[in-house]
Amino acid sequence: MENILELHHVSKTFPKSDFKLDDVTFSLPYGTISGFVGENGAGKTTTIGCIMNTIIKDRGTIKLFGREMGDEDTDMREDIGIVYDGDNFPSYWTALQLSQVMEGLYTRWDRSLFQKYLDDFCLPGRQKIKHYSKGMTMKLALAAALSHHPKLLILDEATSGLDPVMRDDMLDLFLGFVQEEDHSILLSSHITSDLEKVADHITFIHNGRIIMTVSKNDLVYRYAVLRCKESQFRALAPSDILAYRKRDFQIDVLVPDGKEAVRKYKDVIADHVSVDEIMLLLVKGERI
Amino acid sequence: MKGLMKNNFYAVLANAKVFSIFMIILGIFVAAVISQSLLIGYVMTGMVGFSLNAAAVAKNEYVSKWGKYKLTLPVRRADIIKSMYLNHSFWLLIGAAFSGTVTGISWFLHGCPFDIPMDILTMFVLGISISLFMGAIFFPLFYLGGAERNEVFLIISLLCAIGIDLVIVTVVNDLTEPGITSILTGLVVLSASSLLAFVLSYPLTLSIFKRKEY
Repeated sequence: MENILELHHVSKTFPKSDFKLDDVTFSLPYGTISGFVGENGAGKTTTIGCIMNTIIKDRGTIKLFGREMGDEDTDMREDIGIVYDGDNFPSYWTALQLSQVMEGLYTRWDRSLFQKYLDDFCLPGRQKIKHYSKGMTMKLALAAALSHHPKLLILDEATSGLDPVMRDDMLDLFLGFVQEEDHSILLSSHITSDLEKVADHITFIHNGRIIMTVSKNDLVYRYAVLRCKESQFRALAPSDILAYRKRDFQIDVLVPDGKEAVRKYKDVIADHVSVDEIMLLLVKGERI
Repeated sequence: MKGLMKNNFYAVLANAKVFSIFMIILGIFVAAVISQSLLIGYVMTGMVGFSLNAAAVAKNEYVSKWGKYKLTLPVRRADIIKSMYLNHSFWLLIGAAFSGTVTGISWFLHGCPFDIPMDILTMFVLGISISLFMGAIFFPLFYLGGAERNEVFLIISLLCAIGIDLVIVTVVNDLTEPGITSILTGLVVLSASSLLAFVLSYPLTLSIFKRKEY
């Protein structure tokens, strides 16, 4: 069993909306962090909803730890920690009340570990959550997600709203979490620079469809954007083009192998590509 | 289940504290004066008020993402719904305890506050019945219609519960001869029907909740 999470051909339609999740397939190997990227409304939260059964999928299979998770499989949810964007917990609670509730829900709830996170994150345990800042509520959610010793962390925009220093601390925490070989993180985020720092793989979703999954190594060392003139663009073989976008005086072309492209097309300039740029090209660009 | 019960308890706690203070002050007054109608009002307020509080805070979970988050916890959807019904029953018992204490004190100070002691039982059965019918109607409506309609569902369920009780009492009175048998029949029918409605409401709410997506 290599993957902690596997989605195969997962689809979900919403009768009152034009949006649908269409044939979503990707996997998350053990011991890795996978970034899940897409614009607002691309289907990230819906996909996470299908994984966690808060949304009921129409078709496809989702395997966690090698098996499908139903409502009855509470033992599987013991191994999952989740953080949603925004207020995860009722605002009238204190962190200590949260701990007491969680203690009655998780068999492996570690009160001392939770207290350690509260201390590390400078979160007052007796203060009501409604008096916390956004950053503090996110830290609290992360502390809660980690304090029952999960194997899989699912983070839905968990770093949004945090300042760069705080985000950096979080990312260090994530990297520490996956030091255990059987731990993994699915990190959905708009902040692509975070993913570049910690993700081993990045999956791009657009309009409910997975458009690309790429390893960070490939992203850094292989993928590139060719800056072409019109004539240079016409000379490119269609099989080399993943996506392209016409700008004022040039055409940006996403290619899967920058070095190979430079060898093959002598005059073009190849730049390293960022996650942001890939996303823009895949979402706003055109395909052949 | 323990965690869910704690969750529900904390949800009601802040409102319940305020309501308890109100009930204590009102209780002192009701116990001090001799007034049958005041005592009836107090008992009904206690029985229905606490469980009404419990139902009223159900929407708070959906103000935050906690309602959705709960589904990712190691609990079944059935447990979540079960905990709501147990919480409703728990606060009904708290209300009954307040009402019972004040009725007891009133009796101790002034003698039996009603013509016959059976009337006290009638009053309590009526209160419990209204509370149970209210819960039985409210929970399915809440999960069917969504948290944003919480207040209107509360009003509807409370009015329906009172209406059902009035219909039952009227029908029993019409079908039976006045007397102790009529009162006892009324009590049995009220208790049994409200309890049955409350119990049957659970699978209905669960079937609705199992289809809910967040």
